[in-house]
Amino acid sequence: MHPLEVHAQQLTRRAFLGRSTAGLGSLALGSLLNPGLFGAGAAAGAWPGLITQLHHAAKIKRVIYLYQAGGPSHLETFDYKPKLVAMHGQGMPESFTQGQQIAQLQGKELKCYAPQFGFQRFGKSGQEICSLFPEIGSVADDICIIRSMYTEQIIHDPAHTFMNTGSIIAGRPSMGSWLLYGLGTETEELPGFIVLMSSGKGGQMQPIAARQWHSGFLPSRFQGVKFQSVGDPVQYMQSPAGVTQADQEQIIDVVNQLNRRQHDAIGDPEVLTRINQYEMAFRMQTSVPGLMDLANEPRRVLESYGAKPGDGSFASNCLLARRLAERGVRFIQLYHRDWDHHDDVAHVKYKAEEVDRPTAALIRDLKERGLWDETLIVWGGEFGRTPMAQGKGRDHHIKGFSIMLAGGAVRGGMSYGATDELGYAAVDKPTSVHDLHATMLHLFGVDHTKLTYRYQGRQFRLTDVSGEVLKPILA
Amino acid sequence: MVPTRLRPRVLLFGSGLIWAIGFTRLAAADPASATTPLQFNRDIRPILSENCFHCHGPDKNRREADLRLDHQDAAIEALAWVPGQPEKSDAIRRIFSDDADERMPPLDSHRSLTAVQKDTLKRWVAQGAAYEPHWAYVPPVRPALTAADAPAQGPGTGKNPVDAFIDAALVREQLPPAPEADRRTLIRRLALDLTGLPPKPKDVEVFVTSSDPRAYERMVDQYLASPHYGERMAIPWLDLVRFADTIGFHNDVAIKVWPYRDYVINAFNQNLPFDQFTREQLAGDLLPGSTPNQRVASGYNRIHRISGEGGIQDKEYFAKYAADRVRTTATVWMGSTLACAECHDHKFDPFTIKDFYSFAAIFSDLKEKGAYNLSGGFTRENLTEETLFESPEQKLRFEALEAEVAGLSKQLEESTDEPLTSGRATWETSTLAAHRAGTLAWKVQTPLSVSSPAGTPFTIEPEDHSIVPGGPNPANDTYLVTVPASLDHVTAVRVEVIQDARFPGDEVSRAGSAFYISEIEVDGAVSPDQRPVPLRLATSQASSSTEPGHPATAAVDGDESTAVSFARRRGAGIAVHLAEPWRGDPDSRLTIRIRHSASMPYQNLGRFRIALHTLPAPDPNADGVPAHVLAALVVTPTERNAAQTKDLTAYYRAIAPELASVRQRLAAAREARDTLISRLPSMPVSRSIEPRPMRVLPRGNWMDDSGEKVEAAAPGFLRPIKPSDGQRVSRLDFAEWLVAPDNPLTARTFVNRLWRLYFGEGLTRTLEDLGSQGDWPTHPELLDWLAVEFRESGWDVKRLVKLIVTSQTYRRSSQGSPVLEERDPLNRFLARQSRFRLEAELVRDNVLAISGLLSSRIGGPSAKPYQPLSYYAPLNFPRREYAPDTGEGLHRRGVYTHWQRTLLHPSLMAFDAPSRDECTTNRSTSNTPLQALVLLNDPTYVESARVLAERIVRGGGWSFPSRLSWAYQRALSRPPAPDEIRALRRLFDQQRARYQADPAAARELLRTGAAPFPDDLPIADLAAWTSVSRALLNLHETVTRS
Repeated sequence: MHPLEVHAQQLTRRAFLGRSTAGLGSLALGSLLNPGLFGAGAAAGAWPGLITQLHHAAKIKRVIYLYQAGGPSHLETFDYKPKLVAMHGQGMPESFTQGQQIAQLQGKELKCYAPQFGFQRFGKSGQEICSLFPEIGSVADDICIIRSMYTEQIIHDPAHTFMNTGSIIAGRPSMGSWLLYGLGTETEELPGFIVLMSSGKGGQMQPIAARQWHSGFLPSRFQGVKFQSVGDPVQYMQSPAGVTQADQEQIIDVVNQLNRRQHDAIGDPEVLTRINQYEMAFRMQTSVPGLMDLANEPRRVLESYGAKPGDGSFASNCLLARRLAERGVRFIQLYHRDWDHHDDVAHVKYKAEEVDRPTAALIRDLKERGLWDETLIVWGGEFGRTPMAQGKGRDHHIKGFSIMLAGGAVRGGMSYGATDELGYAAVDKPTSVHDLHATMLHLFGVDHTKLTYRYQGRQFRLTDVSGEVLKPILA
Repeated sequence: MVPTRLRPRVLLFGSGLIWAIGFTRLAAADPASATTPLQFNRDIRPILSENCFHCHGPDKNRREADLRLDHQDAAIEALAWVPGQPEKSDAIRRIFSDDADERMPPLDSHRSLTAVQKDTLKRWVAQGAAYEPHWAYVPPVRPALTAADAPAQGPGTGKNPVDAFIDAALVREQLPPAPEADRRTLIRRLALDLTGLPPKPKDVEVFVTSSDPRAYERMVDQYLASPHYGERMAIPWLDLVRFADTIGFHNDVAIKVWPYRDYVINAFNQNLPFDQFTREQLAGDLLPGSTPNQRVASGYNRIHRISGEGGIQDKEYFAKYAADRVRTTATVWMGSTLACAECHDHKFDPFTIKDFYSFAAIFSDLKEKGAYNLSGGFTRENLTEETLFESPEQKLRFEALEAEVAGLSKQLEESTDEPLTSGRATWETSTLAAHRAGTLAWKVQTPLSVSSPAGTPFTIEPEDHSIVPGGPNPANDTYLVTVPASLDHVTAVRVEVIQDARFPGDEVSRAGSAFYISEIEVDGAVSPDQRPVPLRLATSQASSSTEPGHPATAAVDGDESTAVSFARRRGAGIAVHLAEPWRGDPDSRLTIRIRHSASMPYQNLGRFRIALHTLPAPDPNADGVPAHVLAALVVTPTERNAAQTKDLTAYYRAIAPELASVRQRLAAAREARDTLISRLPSMPVSRSIEPRPMRVLPRGNWMDDSGEKVEAAAPGFLRPIKPSDGQRVSRLDFAEWLVAPDNPLTARTFVNRLWRLYFGEGLTRTLEDLGSQGDWPTHPELLDWLAVEFRESGWDVKRLVKLIVTSQTYRRSSQGSPVLEERDPLNRFLARQSRFRLEAELVRDNVLAISGLLSSRIGGPSAKPYQPLSYYAPLNFPRREYAPDTGEGLHRRGVYTHWQRTLLHPSLMAFDAPSRDECTTNRSTSNTPLQALVLLNDPTYVESARVLAERIVRGGGWSFPSRLSWAYQRALSRPPAPDEIRALRRLFDQQRARYQADPAAARELLRTGAAPFPDDLPIADLAAWTSVSRALLNLHETVTRS
């Protein structure tokens, strides 16, 4: 029997028992029955996670994924290529490009384009990082840079889909959904998978589809919930005009009272779940606006991130991410758009202004608050950019790019893998998207080959049929 | 999966109860019981498929030890099984082996066999190791209904053949069936299942009190005849064919496809036989004498996701679309996971990779694009849109306009009469003279002043006199530029757009891609102290193509809601022609107001400069003519090359005064034609062209051309498709093959999914997979019986629905008993009905129907209900702000909601509606706090509550109980119980007191939504009833069918 059915069946039994134990009150009974079976979340219907016994000890409890959407140039962030400076303006050797997929440079002359900014060595580890990112440089000894990523899709939309779901076919669950399915949530007050989005000052705001945080063929309860950082934090969060919180509470009380009455009559556990969802909805209505309002953060903290309450910036979202992490949200994904530098890769400097400080501030903040060891930060986009020029910019590129990981569970001050001397292809320890996913799951105590869901007659998993844990980067 | 019942072991621990997770199996056809003869399909195949076929199955590339266990002969030949002699069978020996290196399945496969499974395999070999072909690949045969199967079936028993099969299993399982549901529940269930709407209170009362023995059947007939039946039936079909209003990739723009949705609704309403429904969708265009309706149906082949994202390639996207069609079509009609054979042979079913691409080749005759970018945009031509004329007159009118456009275009291209030649000579001379005199090019002006009411600071660049806005970027802005107009006879003003790296993205707008100008206005003053007077403007032109829907003329149309827009256009400009020339004095000046007040916030113009012209109707290019024209013009006529002559000829034709009337007539005819077309429905349809060659793509890699060429064909292990022309298998041949009597899959697939609508699960629960890995049906004989019945009835869908919903099984109460809950908790054997939440669209429809707001209109363009502001912020190219409909469009059924694939309406999404990127066979049914927020706070639901409140007060009698009862009848088809009345009375009293004290709040609440505000009723009462209504509409019971 399918694990979800087992769960449903347990609920049925519990509800059935609840009904026959008159006088106890269903909700109270739920928590009485609960402890062994349902983990910390006492609520009816709470999903305890597929994996009740972790495959090995977990190192982390959550991920904060700083998703730099649009395809950040590795050559202007984390991957310094002096050879490319020397070759600037010369034809890109065909030995690199022959037979390889090309996006907008199809049919164009391929010329080397030098990195547009200098690099510096930072920290004791001497990690090479573009000098546009001094703040990230200042935490260089805390971060692990993977310089040998590659992916399979060269266009934004399918590349995002691949990065998030490990598949180019739509309808597969995103990584956050897999985590909720596998491990359940740590909080009953908030969704376990929350998405925030910010836009850069530039104009290259590539669209992001809700597919990127969708649960695909997994039940939709595992879907990510997008919070707006400006306006209503969650769709339909606000009570109707002319309705106060007290009014809303009175209505919800009656709804729950009448639903409980129905449950007592028919014993359907879905009714209990419904009651619980109304309670959670009300808690969200009362707590989320405060949670999302940064005005009560100390000035010192706001300044360290460069966040202004209500500005919807990446900086504010980083600070919100820390607040969500503190409250037990399992997967927090921040999209920052505007990295699609076809025309002028020097515009990376604007991105640096937006992301450098908040990224470093988040790292420091997590350390100060004791969240560091149990949180994994991922910083990266859906692909990299060509060493070849597209005007003053760079085209999409899939054969080699960089991402950055941070957190107590990974080795700080480390660089892993490398691209060739022109930054074209990952040649040393090539790292696939599936490897990244496998490593992430590994840190959660999950063997990526065992977190599966049966669909269309086979066991699907986030890592499809491959994926190796990046053991050398583990702390 | 083997049908099992599960018995929990209840363990007592101290004073608390804990349910153990372990369950033991009870005998259904229990393979553990040694006396039961084992059946390969039921008992053995699931074990082998799950644990062995991965390495010893159909995929030759993955096969280990050259052993395959999916083939009887091969397995026996390899001595894996020795029939009757398990002890001599290699496979049995290795399965039972204690040696970890020997034991199968191997450790690293992460698969293992339970003791029961091992024993089952052993006994099966002992019984002879007989194989059966997979059940779903053998054409269904109608099982005989014996008296033993049907103890009480037949006329007068209220039972039909469906009950015979269900009852037989209940008897076997010793499960006592639930009694028939009460009549209120029954009619509500029936109305929701057949029409997706709650029953009308008066229908409920008639049905509840009727003594007519055929009362129920009459209701079935009534609902099947309702036009809302087709709307309800369309929902799962549209999920299957992944119907949506937008392209689904990247910028996710909308295309007009709703006629296909209406086709589906009408087809169900007219009870179009399913075989014809199949032919029309797959090959409506190929049917002899096809009708427009049939061609709309063939739009099935065109409603997959398509992309126009920059940098994509035709070849890759042809491959993507082809694979999508295989995935979808094989799932929709065959319940097959042929999708899994895209990169390699199928691991469990006998599909090869060649089958996948041969199947794709069935559709390789479709006219389509791969990359809808660059010159290949989403045009009528590229989408093969067919216009659907609503009358013969429209069609005649269209044809006449087409002919007129063709005729005038020809005239424009070919006219070579003398006046044109001499006119051109004159134009060349004067233009050249103007060029030499320096009056041909636009004259850039140094601004005297620049300001903005928003306080935007400006920098004037000394080297080119351009103006650069700075400071904070307001949502909307107006630039006021004053320039000297000392030139005599100013005829036109040009706003030149200059790229500047200080601006993001395309560098022409202060916020990203494109800028928008709602209006350009020009005032003139003859001296600095004179009050400027507005000048009349004739027209405006842009020197490069503008964004669709944002033409240059929008800048002078006096309508602030329209705007001219373009993105990256180096050196582009907008020329505004004055109606009369401005005869300036040395001191005179012009003030140009560039207004951005359109609905594209922050997209203010970036760097620009102002230039003036003195020749009549100047060209909007900076040089006064396009650069290539000027280049040709300055060459002596006799020395011009052919290209130069051609350029000049073409340009002159485009401006020649002699041809002005032709050009005007042509523009008018084009506009009339395009307007006519844009207002008519249209649909991308299938059009057959020379088939594209199709190859196997090794590992699914579209860049690999090494695979073998394939022809259109059915999967090799099924009966071949016969090409009707003796040459190539067409889509129509394929459709005929699907609905041929010997096709094992089509009828079973459809019937199984139909069953789910009425019981919550299919007879095989894996609706998407009837193959080797699919679930064994709970009632295989019933599934086959229904499939044969369906086919032999002429694929009569309504007949099949009626058969199911008139069964005793359907009519049972959904209320379980302790015995049933213990012995069949997941209700596999249907001793009772199921309970499930309404689907997303129906949650909406239901509430709108209860309130009386629901529009009953069938079909038409997709509707845009209320949606939260800025919800489309993640969209781009172009950015979009959602504009909800007005009037009826706000209250249409959910099936009509605009389906934005990448950002589906949040209320639909909260209730599990799929994005329709891909074929969806079965939506999940979640129960989340977001759903509570939708029902509580989405304006649609709040508006429904306050409109319901108004109706309660107007029509529900005078007392509280009578009013509440009236509302309960509408919402739940039953009267409220005394304790419900008490609870809601208390809420009402609290809320009335609260709103009496704060009438402003009451008024605010009662103004939610666009429905009229009832100012003739006491508002505190109305607001309190709104609160009661909100409670009612939020009940679990309201959104549940039981």
